[in-house]
Amino acid sequence: MKTHSMTAPLLRDYDAIVVGSGMTGGWAAKELTELGLRTLVLEAGRPITPERDAREHVAPFEMPFRGLGDRRAVDTRQSVQQKSVTFDEMSRQFWTDDIDNPYSTPESRAFDWFRARQVGGKSLIWGRQTYRMSNLDFEANLRDGIAADWPIRYVDIAPWYDRVERFIGVSGQAEQLPQLPDGAFLAAMQLNCVEQHVKERIAARYGRERVLTIGRAAVLTSALNGRAPCHYCGPCHRLCSTRSYFSSINATLPAAQATGRMTLRPHSIVRALRYDASQKRVSGVHVIDAQTGVEHLFTARVVFLCASSIESARLLLNSATPQFPNGLANSSDQVGRNIMDHIKWGGASGEIDGFADRRVIGERPNGIYVPRFRNVTSRHPDFIRGYGFQGGAGRGGWESATRAPGIGLAFKARLTEPGPWSMSFVGFGEMLPRESNRATIDPQLKDKWGIPALHIDAQWSENELAIHRDMNVTAAELLDAAGARNIRPSTRGPSTPGNSNHEMGTARMGRDPTTSVLNGWNQAWDARNLFITDGAFMTSSSCQNPSLTYMAMTARACHHAVAELKRRNL
Amino acid sequence: MDRRELLGWMVATGGLAALERLSPADLLTIGRDAHHAEPAHAARERTLDARAAALVTIVAEQIIPASETPGASDAGVTAFVEHMLTGWYSPADRDRFLAGLADLDLRSRARGGVSFAMLDAATQRALLEVIDDEVTALRTAHGASANAHWFAMLKYLTVWGYCTSERGMRETLHTWPMPMRYDGNAAVK
Repeated sequence: MKTHSMTAPLLRDYDAIVVGSGMTGGWAAKELTELGLRTLVLEAGRPITPERDAREHVAPFEMPFRGLGDRRAVDTRQSVQQKSVTFDEMSRQFWTDDIDNPYSTPESRAFDWFRARQVGGKSLIWGRQTYRMSNLDFEANLRDGIAADWPIRYVDIAPWYDRVERFIGVSGQAEQLPQLPDGAFLAAMQLNCVEQHVKERIAARYGRERVLTIGRAAVLTSALNGRAPCHYCGPCHRLCSTRSYFSSINATLPAAQATGRMTLRPHSIVRALRYDASQKRVSGVHVIDAQTGVEHLFTARVVFLCASSIESARLLLNSATPQFPNGLANSSDQVGRNIMDHIKWGGASGEIDGFADRRVIGERPNGIYVPRFRNVTSRHPDFIRGYGFQGGAGRGGWESATRAPGIGLAFKARLTEPGPWSMSFVGFGEMLPRESNRATIDPQLKDKWGIPALHIDAQWSENELAIHRDMNVTAAELLDAAGARNIRPSTRGPSTPGNSNHEMGTARMGRDPTTSVLNGWNQAWDARNLFITDGAFMTSSSCQNPSLTYMAMTARACHHAVAELKRRNL
Repeated sequence: MDRRELLGWMVATGGLAALERLSPADLLTIGRDAHHAEPAHAARERTLDARAAALVTIVAEQIIPASETPGASDAGVTAFVEHMLTGWYSPADRDRFLAGLADLDLRSRARGGVSFAMLDAATQRALLEVIDDEVTALRTAHGASANAHWFAMLKYLTVWGYCTSERGMRETLHTWPMPMRYDGNAAVK
């Protein structure tokens, strides 16, 4: 991808500025440039190109630590980032350095903030699970009388889900479930033989109440726009040479580049937004060049924040003005509040008999999904909202031998013997928005570039903990229905908040400027030309993986912004 | 333009026709070439002297012996153990491991009057089985803390090193090259 050249004359003024080049920044870049805007995309990190940076086919024996990672370097520099499930020896390069990019938490309450500073952002290392939200979600806060009501309903976002799905490519199975609307799917990936068996047994007991389906994944099963179908090598988070999974570098940024109207400037750390009090609008962004340390000012008619939920909140909090002493666009005092994630690690696993002569060939970058079934048609006594299960079936390999008794030829033989079939379910549960779960500017801590860092204070409430407990119960029920033996409910406690990598909610949208930061178009109530379309806008978290909703709302906000520009309202 | 350059160009231009023409073998070279071009880690200090390295080689081969398929020595397990001891484990882990090797020689002398390396293979094996049983008992009593035992460390490193080696993956496990396809209902061979 061509990037801004330091030797070319430095343009200072653009039609639009997009802060961030990941999941939503790529969409903003694509939509805004295709609608005719000269757009500057600012990315804090380095450029990435698959032909140079992809590592998905590197063999274990070609890795210095054989996949176990450079433990000393990782413990020193990436003590938080290494806790992500997709962090490994080859993907380590796609996560930030925790020393250069610090944040604080209360001593007793950890929060895992996963961050990625490079062109592509976290779209390079996401889990690719792609689900729509439904009116069960958009009406939830109103129904329960908590937080703020979503200013949109499913009908508002549905066409944008269509648009995004058709472009990114989503493989999946239509199921006609009201709580998990179907989309424009490519052919579904294959359930393996045991997952198919478990699906049928669950259907026999639970009918349409609890449904096992193949995961809906932004991974191609047929060619799309110059991207090849998946070849099932497995580790997508080390990048993809064939561009088979969706990331901004695989799809949206090339589309923006093709318009000739995008300038992508890597190594550009946005320190603060510039506010013009007389116009009541954001007039530009202050950028520190990460390589030279030199500060630049870029101006534009419209600014999109796509820096990731908590980073965008940080940027607003670091952009206080006399009119907004608590942070720009923060007259509601909601910026940085209502941090949500998904609670996980509840569930169960069990062994499935039979199928001894069957095995799996290849690595499917996707698992199974059980859509939410709690509080859909009936009410659970212990909690509101619900959760979905991810998981899958497989046979153990040689790994169990590392801690097994024995030596010699008999021991060697077990390395090649496939283990029993095991089926597991892992829950992802909704987290309620609460104002006390909050990021604020740490009065002392600064990052490598001298920019004030955040203090993040978030914890689960009893509702999430009740959801977590229920996951163990219902996962065991599903395994019982499947005829599993040795059913083992999860012994893991709740995940650390943030660990699901679904942080959101820090600049929520709403119907009332006194209780929300954004209106229903992702537009700041306090600065009409400022749009925030990363996960910060989320008014509630649902239990589905959120990236598809972020992308759809980004595309929708871009079209609204351009229409408003044309109407001279911005 | 040589073949590898050509592959790089095909990927860089992202042409679907080009990508679809790639064979699994061609796919496998992409990305790995760039990885190979990176400078190798500089040589660092070593943990195992020649005598300790020889001992590790003997014990690892007893854990995974050569048969019709490669053994631990064929798979280069000792070099992996050395790399991990020097670059991955803590100094405390390393010291405990070296003390364990020294203890192995002491127990060997107590048993047969000679160092472990000088014992015949059957006696070596018998002594290692005793130690393996001790680790199993430790695991039964104390769970995962048994992983800190020097022999548990060496077994872990031997299995991991073997099963991630090129020869182990190609010739024993048949997990390399990547199959580049998916079948969720294949026959066990």
